[in-house]
Amino acid sequence: MSSVDLLQTLGNKYSAEILDATDEPRSAQELSDELEIPIATCYRRIDELTEHNLLELHDNILSDDRRRIKVYRRNVDEVSIDFDEELTVDIEERTEVTNTLDEAWRTLSEG
Amino acid sequence: MIELTETGIDGLDEILNGGIVNNSTTLVSGNPGAGKSILGLQYIYNGVEQFGEKGIFLSFEENAEDLRQAAESIGLDNWAEYVENGDITIYDKQVLLRENDFSSSLELLLGELDDDNYERLVLDSLTMFKLFFETEREQRTYLLKFTDILAENNLTTLMTNEQGTVFPETDISLENFLTDGNIYLLQTPTDSGVNRYVWVAKMRKKNIDTDIFPMEISDGGITVHQNASAFSMMSEDESPI
Repeated sequence: MSSVDLLQTLGNKYSAEILDATDEPRSAQELSDELEIPIATCYRRIDELTEHNLLELHDNILSDDRRRIKVYRRNVDEVSIDFDEELTVDIEERTEVTNTLDEAWRTLSEG
Repeated sequence: MIELTETGIDGLDEILNGGIVNNSTTLVSGNPGAGKSILGLQYIYNGVEQFGEKGIFLSFEENAEDLRQAAESIGLDNWAEYVENGDITIYDKQVLLRENDFSSSLELLLGELDDDNYERLVLDSLTMFKLFFETEREQRTYLLKFTDILAENNLTTLMTNEQGTVFPETDISLENFLTDGNIYLLQTPTDSGVNRYVWVAKMRKKNIDTDIFPMEISDGGITVHQNASAFSMMSEDESPI
């Protein structure tokens, strides 16, 4: 996926708002209600963001009326754009417990 | 010569043949109410009180105030003072689960370990720790990495583990293979209350007494009775041979 595509996706209306709101897992319906996004647009944005790995399907939870609901969570902490040399978009992935342990463990084996 | 860390718990060090191997990780399994957390509290407390060793208590189950009350209820009267002056460092559930972000708490903890101040650590419970990993494979990998990190930082660790039936139909889960030692706390209901037992099933690098010993939890915490004949099923007099 090219950097320009990624920027395009980020720049689409509501994309930033969705990423901002998905610190905790949220369903499409919740996002649509909270951010006042038409539901069809909301689904489309979620698909685009997921495709670029900026958002991830976190879980299929069971609703009160016993239906499965998909909830999404942001997969990124930071995006930086570099125009020096050539255009690069760097995505800082969200820190996870696994990353933290991997990092600490690597330090051990090096030490 | 293998160096040992004494638990300071009456009777337990004797059946461990002196104590727990330094820098190892021991799993303490049992069902709810078996005394796992109490064993952990005593292990950390005794470290300070009897051996001048600092400890860290990680609890996903309770907050710092609950821990203090639990400690004081079994006569660990200086608990609050040791926490106050930094001999015991607590990461309670409020800290560990703050903003649902265990990752940053973990970084904080790992940073703290780097200073080599601590010799004992309790994780209560491994059952909760495992929830942060998505697949069983991930759970295993990261449990191993975590125990490596703890060992490298010279920590002798106890991890509690919720387990349903442990005896006689022992359901052995993977954690039991991944850790250096296994202690089971068992309880059976009786007419008058509950009978409690402790069984040290495994201790790497060490000869241990693998019999099952009766134990008590009272105002003074855990006491393990070495007199195996108090456990009637194993009494020699009743042996059919």
